[in-house]
Amino acid sequence: MRAKLNIPGTLTLLALVALWEVAVRGGAVTFDYLPAPSAIAVAFVGIVRSGELLTATLHTLGSVLIGWVLALVIGGALGLLFGLSAFARRWFLATLEVLRPLPAIAFLPVALLLFSFSLTTELVVMVYASIWPMFINTMGGIANVSSRLNDVGLTLKLSPTQTLLKVLIPAAAPSILVGARLCLGLTLVLAIIAEMIGNPHGLGYAVVNALIAIQPEQMFAYVLFIGVLAIALNALLLQAARLLLPAYGRGAVETV
Amino acid sequence: MSAATVVADSGNIYECDAVSLELFPHGKRRLIIDRLSLNVRTGEFLTIVGSSGTGKSTLLRLLGGLVPATSGNIRFRGAAVAGAPSGVVVVFQDYSNALLQWRTVARNIALGIEDKLDKAEVDARIRQSLQMVGLEKNALDHPWQLSGGMQQRVQIARALALKPQVMLMDEPFGALDAMTKASLQDEVLKVHQQTGTSFVFITHDIEEAVYLGDRVIVLAGPPGRIHNAVDITLPRPRDQMSTRQSPEFLRYRAEIHDAVLAAGGH
Repeated sequence: MRAKLNIPGTLTLLALVALWEVAVRGGAVTFDYLPAPSAIAVAFVGIVRSGELLTATLHTLGSVLIGWVLALVIGGALGLLFGLSAFARRWFLATLEVLRPLPAIAFLPVALLLFSFSLTTELVVMVYASIWPMFINTMGGIANVSSRLNDVGLTLKLSPTQTLLKVLIPAAAPSILVGARLCLGLTLVLAIIAEMIGNPHGLGYAVVNALIAIQPEQMFAYVLFIGVLAIALNALLLQAARLLLPAYGRGAVETV
Repeated sequence: MSAATVVADSGNIYECDAVSLELFPHGKRRLIIDRLSLNVRTGEFLTIVGSSGTGKSTLLRLLGGLVPATSGNIRFRGAAVAGAPSGVVVVFQDYSNALLQWRTVARNIALGIEDKLDKAEVDARIRQSLQMVGLEKNALDHPWQLSGGMQQRVQIARALALKPQVMLMDEPFGALDAMTKASLQDEVLKVHQQTGTSFVFITHDIEEAVYLGDRVIVLAGPPGRIHNAVDITLPRPRDQMSTRQSPEFLRYRAEIHDAVLAAGGH
């Protein structure tokens, strides 16, 4: 089940990049600021050498990590509460369902007003947007655990806490992992947006900065790098799921 | 002399007196068990048969402390049952739901004892339980790698690891094929003989009830109540061939068959 290099897919990608290069160099495409891939590569080497890329990446990854952990804890705790308690679902789920579809971006100006241009603003927007997949998947995972497992906990004389930790949460783990993965993807997207508008640091700010400085090669280098970063983070989590989930049997990994 | 000792002297490990259970599905009152009185003798293998809807599983849940009675008394070793009593363990029919699919066989068996006993004792009990159900070679497998019959053996082993005084079994072999069922029946009889554990065994299979039981109770309903009880005096150890072909066995089978029909149900 190891991931193999997709040769036809890679060839297509390389061909498209080559076509882009030829189109720009040959003058077939005449945007004022569309750099050729080779120029972007040169700019990329430049921002790596100057250390700008590293600084920006560390900032963004740092806030993604903090935001992700916060979202996992808050979303996971809410999900557990609502998954376990029919009372909570009956009385409070409707309120959350009203809050959930509000786009987090619309909150950015509000957060700015409250917390000014800061990491707090960035985190508030990130966490607000990314708790939802964690919340929904944890709640669903816990609520869908077979009621038989509660009987098992009772008849084996496990305490409610032991039943929760040893039986219910592990039973819901595949679903919770899906939530955690969706959550990470959202956190990165929101971090970039928040840095563009609300916190002048990191990769999002670097993109905007390159735009203002009219350095399209650098801008493209940052944008493409963000794409690679997203792919890498996703792959990392998938790999973690592959290590954790084989015990769950056929199909558990595929669901994540 | 304490009350508990008096009850223990009566030779009954369970005493149920006029037990009723009402549920309120969709706000409508429904009587599931109606003033049912029943004793389980210490060391007895009691089987309970009845058509569907006679409250067999509910009765077992009441005995196991998984659901509280609406009225009446259930006493286990003289003490009123409130919650799952220690010394009693339930084995469920749906083994794949009841096992922790992410834990190995050995770790499933450890679930009920790992926080209560030291590691050496836990390991010893896992080994004994695996041996009793013939799964020594499968300690490190996951349940989803095993056949249905083997998974049900794991659940029985997990119950045995608690060294219970009573095993409550809810149609444990209902989902298994005939061959597997026969070998598990003999397995359970062996455990009964070796450990002296009392059994309350629910089934809708009349032959199984006669083959296993010291006594068969026929339930009528709904609402569930006792129709009659039959003492089974077939000699032990029992044998899948000779016991089942004996005239006494066939007579019991016919008697209980008629009783189940007379008791009605769905």
